[in-house]
Amino acid sequence: MNLSNHTLTNIQRFFVYLFLAVLVVITLIPVWLLIVNATRSTLEIQQGISLLPSKYLMTNYRILLSKGLDLPLGFMNSLTIAVLTTVITVYFSMLTAYGLVVYNFKGRKTLYNLMLVLVMIPMQLSIIGFYQWMSKLGLTDSYASLILPGIASAGSVFFAKQYLESIMIQDLIDAGRIDGASELSIFHKIMLPIAVPGMFTLGIFAFVASWNNFFNAFILITTRNKYTLPMLIQTLRGDVYRHEYGAIYLGLAASVVPIIIIYFLFSRYIVNGISMGAVKE
Amino acid sequence: MFKKLKYDHYGYLFVAPFIIGFLIFGLYPVLNTVFLSFTNRTLMSRTYDITWFKNFQLLFADKTFITAVTNTWELWLMNFIPQMGIAFLLSVLFTNLRLKIKGVGVWRMIFYMPNLMMASAIAALFFSLFSYYGPVNQFIVRSGFVAEAIDFIRKPAWMRGLVVFIQWWMWFGQTTILLMAAMTAIPVSLYEAALVDGAGSLQMFWHITLPLIKPVMIYILVTSLVGGMQMFDIPYLLTDGRGSPGNSILTNTINMYMKFHSSKGHIGAASAVGLVVFLMTSIVALLIFFLLREKHDEPVKNGNREMKR
Repeated sequence: MNLSNHTLTNIQRFFVYLFLAVLVVITLIPVWLLIVNATRSTLEIQQGISLLPSKYLMTNYRILLSKGLDLPLGFMNSLTIAVLTTVITVYFSMLTAYGLVVYNFKGRKTLYNLMLVLVMIPMQLSIIGFYQWMSKLGLTDSYASLILPGIASAGSVFFAKQYLESIMIQDLIDAGRIDGASELSIFHKIMLPIAVPGMFTLGIFAFVASWNNFFNAFILITTRNKYTLPMLIQTLRGDVYRHEYGAIYLGLAASVVPIIIIYFLFSRYIVNGISMGAVKE
Repeated sequence: MFKKLKYDHYGYLFVAPFIIGFLIFGLYPVLNTVFLSFTNRTLMSRTYDITWFKNFQLLFADKTFITAVTNTWELWLMNFIPQMGIAFLLSVLFTNLRLKIKGVGVWRMIFYMPNLMMASAIAALFFSLFSYYGPVNQFIVRSGFVAEAIDFIRKPAWMRGLVVFIQWWMWFGQTTILLMAAMTAIPVSLYEAALVDGAGSLQMFWHITLPLIKPVMIYILVTSLVGGMQMFDIPYLLTDGRGSPGNSILTNTINMYMKFHSSKGHIGAASAVGLVVFLMTSIVALLIFFLLREKHDEPVKNGNREMKR
């Protein structure tokens, strides 16, 4: 009886691992094909699927540039926007969350509920009103319209609030006040240094979201040399690249690989961070 | 020692940037969208008239709009249900004390990875993988599965399936992580008490696990719905950016973008699309959240009571 139970568990275990292995293949194969094809020549790609990299990475890169696709520029544009958005989002989300956690001011509950509701509202659908308002302010075709909304990111404030509540030590704040520090400098000099791990997680999410954002940039940016990576990808579908598969895959890989590297470096922060954003009450 | 009241007004200083930012980049754009939806404004002319509900009348008479709304719901549901299913299965397997699956952290890490990929790059990738002369066709023809290459890009059923697959592929890992976090947060003592009372594993799942992970399930449902109703990158870049073939993957946001990007730039009409979908999504999301949330305490209490008996 005992033995058969044990055997049954082992058989079940075998099928579970098999199932997991199949899921891993499904998960990884599209990305792997993308990376491998970036190193293969168009001829090789047309000859068939291969899971092994080839040696045409530089050739593909030259083809891409020769067709007028400025990949390095797009890369720098995306990087600039993502870094600035990250800094702004992290700083202001921490600031707001600190205000919500530490001070019991009138309207605090209302503001908190507003955040809750904002997470459940499809703000992107007001993009037309946003676009027209930005053009009135002269901010269309400017990165400011992509970066500044990071000041008011409800989801990030939520995360920051959850995090701050878990690490908050009232005594440190009181000690700072005894030393005569101002409220803002208590936040900057005492709270922020303690909150670095949480800020880091928040920052990774903000960075990835900004890096991958296609829609807003697509609506707001018009000048060619301000294009971000996802916008350049969109142009890859054009006739110019019709038969340059290797170059197309390289363009796609260039936008995906940096994120993969970030993920493998910081996956612990990321995986732990996901569940922290979920609404807890 | 310190009277809290003395400091509480500093709170306003800390939240002021958020509020100002929200008014400028959040609230005003919404109000502006509402206003624009009552006008016939285009990008090409400076003058415009207030036409009140004309945009909405045209919209509801427009078959394309209805198609887009139905498509968006269908595409979302078709990916959400299997996504939730697989995530449930995975988190039950990963937290099962009898099976003791090894390397849970690594599996989870791999399954989550697609979520961070650039959706537009993934869509473009699948576009070339499934193009007529693409790798998928080469593979199935050469290995003899089919006699002739399939024109995936022109087959509505294939393209819808592909959109659903990509969405599922990108999100099941995240849903698994969230469900698992909720399941592992349940105190083991609850299950032990139930065991003492002679509860079976199905009973425990139904009366302990489900009620306690309900808040997280609501969170997943609501955020997925809100994201799904704004679906754009994948269907836009998978085919020609107009929801082809035959409007089969035309979503609300593509529809809105097409009006915005039409030769005249009908931002009035585009705003109307945005507003209707905005209201529809917000109402459904908030209803789900508040209706399900208020009930959620009761089953837990009932469950406890049953266990005590």
